[in-house]
Amino acid sequence: MNISYAGSPFGFDTGLAELGGWLAFVLSVLILLGLVLGVISLVPFYFTLLAGEFTLFLTQNFGRGFKFLLISFRGLRRNLLRTSLTYLATFVLTFVICVIWSVLTFIDLVTTERETDFKAIVTERYQAPSQMPSKYEGDIVEAIKSLPEHLRPANVEDNVMTWSFIGGSTDPKVRSMENIIFFFALEPKKLLTMQYEPGELTEADVESLRTHIKTMEDNPRCVMVGPDKLKAMNKRVGDRIKVYTLGIVDIEFEVEIIGELPGDRMSSSAVMNRAYYYQSLQDYERRTGKKHPLEEGNGRTLNLVWIKLPNKEAFEAAAALVNDPAKFSAPAIKMETASSAVGSFLEAYRDILWGARYLFLPAVAITMSLVVANAISISVRERRTELAVLKVLGFQPWQLLLLVLSEALMVGALSGMISTGLAYYMVNIVGGGIKFPIAFFPKFMIRDSVLWLGPLLGMVTSLVGSLLPAISACRVKASNVFAKVS
Amino acid sequence: MPAIVEVRDLTKSFTRGTESIEVLQRLDLDVGHAEFLALMGPSGSGKTTLLNLIAGLDQPTDGSIHVAGLEISAMSESQLARWRTRHVGFVFQFYNLLPVLTAYENVELPLLLLPLTRSQRRTQVENALALVGLSDRMSHRPGQLSGGQQQRVGIARAIVTDPTIIVADEPTGDLDARSAHDVLDLLELLRSQLGKTIIMVTHDPKAADSAQRTLHLEKGRLVLDEVRMPREAFA
Repeated sequence: MNISYAGSPFGFDTGLAELGGWLAFVLSVLILLGLVLGVISLVPFYFTLLAGEFTLFLTQNFGRGFKFLLISFRGLRRNLLRTSLTYLATFVLTFVICVIWSVLTFIDLVTTERETDFKAIVTERYQAPSQMPSKYEGDIVEAIKSLPEHLRPANVEDNVMTWSFIGGSTDPKVRSMENIIFFFALEPKKLLTMQYEPGELTEADVESLRTHIKTMEDNPRCVMVGPDKLKAMNKRVGDRIKVYTLGIVDIEFEVEIIGELPGDRMSSSAVMNRAYYYQSLQDYERRTGKKHPLEEGNGRTLNLVWIKLPNKEAFEAAAALVNDPAKFSAPAIKMETASSAVGSFLEAYRDILWGARYLFLPAVAITMSLVVANAISISVRERRTELAVLKVLGFQPWQLLLLVLSEALMVGALSGMISTGLAYYMVNIVGGGIKFPIAFFPKFMIRDSVLWLGPLLGMVTSLVGSLLPAISACRVKASNVFAKVS
Repeated sequence: MPAIVEVRDLTKSFTRGTESIEVLQRLDLDVGHAEFLALMGPSGSGKTTLLNLIAGLDQPTDGSIHVAGLEISAMSESQLARWRTRHVGFVFQFYNLLPVLTAYENVELPLLLLPLTRSQRRTQVENALALVGLSDRMSHRPGQLSGGQQQRVGIARAIVTDPTIIVADEPTGDLDARSAHDVLDLLELLRSQLGKTIIMVTHDPKAADSAQRTLHLEKGRLVLDEVRMPREAFA
């Protein structure tokens, strides 16, 4: 999805409207998916209930507590429709909360500043998209080298990576998601040292990447493409494609796909040797006798520079040099940490994220509690006589309270557990993550912590929802109801 | 016959708005050991209130109630709950069995509140169900039993803790004539064979005939105390 940052003539940001529509769509899909999964999971839900009941039946000798729990389990069978609907509602809401919470936690994670191994980004200060002259790379390297020894990386060149963005299509006339491709033009060897985080790739991926880097260095026309992009374009490794560029005048690329980019983050991207890009610009000059428009003046071929720095102090010292308008003035540039750059990017989504965190999630949790409260209230009302009979037989109020609460807790815990378990399995294992068109994160994964958070959430909301009905149940006056039941 | 239930100067009043209504007025009553007592009277005469008070389900406004020497009118709500479990068996008009539990589990319910082992519970439940003639229906749920059978499960639940007294509120009110007769015979058997004291509220004169003694209440006062010869006297 393309997000437009330019406001309309009426001051209405169409990009955000588009995003709003997209979020509504995602939410609808989430709820629908939750419902479908919920209905399917009714089978394991009742299987678990029966298994629990059977286990309790076998273990009832261990104590009266087991027997009481068995009665609670049996209570859930009293009205299967109501139990199923309560389970479904809790399931769907837990599912939605856990997915959205995962997204918010992921955003928190990527916008949190690191204390060591800083990754900084240098971009043009006043314009987006950023366009800088290629000579800035050397100037930035020199600036970093001028830092005191304890603040600069061991090998400065290895810790600086440039990106030039090249968008293109394999069809010069009709552009679609199937034929558009986006390249990062970079030094191939930086794929190993800068592009991927330590530990992000498997040993096999690293080994394969090393081979492909060598091939790309030997033949600059060789490119690597992410598996999702290859699939979308219906291309395979070994295919040769012609790329008609978008916004780069009179430049076309003929490339050979030599491998798939590993890792989830790059699954929809592609990389090209920047040498081929620069060579194409020189070819243009030879062909036409004049500089390519992107190289006029100081040049505008560099879009972004990544720098790895050892710590925050080094970052601050380097930023002071790079941000100095006396050194970099045409154009002025800025250096920020990767997380703050992401944070700046997400600034446009600030209100939506705030709303999701502080309005939407609590609203869903409250709705969950109300659903449970409603179901348990009806159940208690229907069983008022039964509860009164238990009281007549000698059950203490707290025992009735536990009986009612335990039923709600069981449904809450089971729906939370199955919901988050299924969400984790479907999203992380089957789907390999959820794609979000925000920044350059390719996929969000359901956090591991959701596996305990979901059941806890189900239990807490069930507890909150069932507390009042349970208290009303234990306050049933035995004498009044005894007269009524008789 | 020594009195197992002693009611003295019993008054119970309820407040409705600003008005105080005396449902029972300075009532005295003794119920002997192994006595089968029927309480009769028109609606609002106070018979169910009296039953509630004797069974420890409510507290009197004034006066005292002693059951087997214990003054239950001075007990707290939780003490009364514990006392009920051990000393009172309840038989309801509509049986009030838990539909999700089997006959065995329904009868076992009161025993869960007592410090018994599982084998002790099993023995008592099996004995109670055998006594009411439902040994072969232990694993049936209430929905799988007839009204008469359900009431017999209710009676088994009432006697399973070997209570001091059994209170029954219209135990035959929801049964056909034959089942009602069986239930009344069973109650009489509990009295004669096990020495249980039974207090039964009923509107049915035929049911009351099964009891040795019938008390008639009107407007919270005892108006008639009829004593019949026990059945064994005719045997």
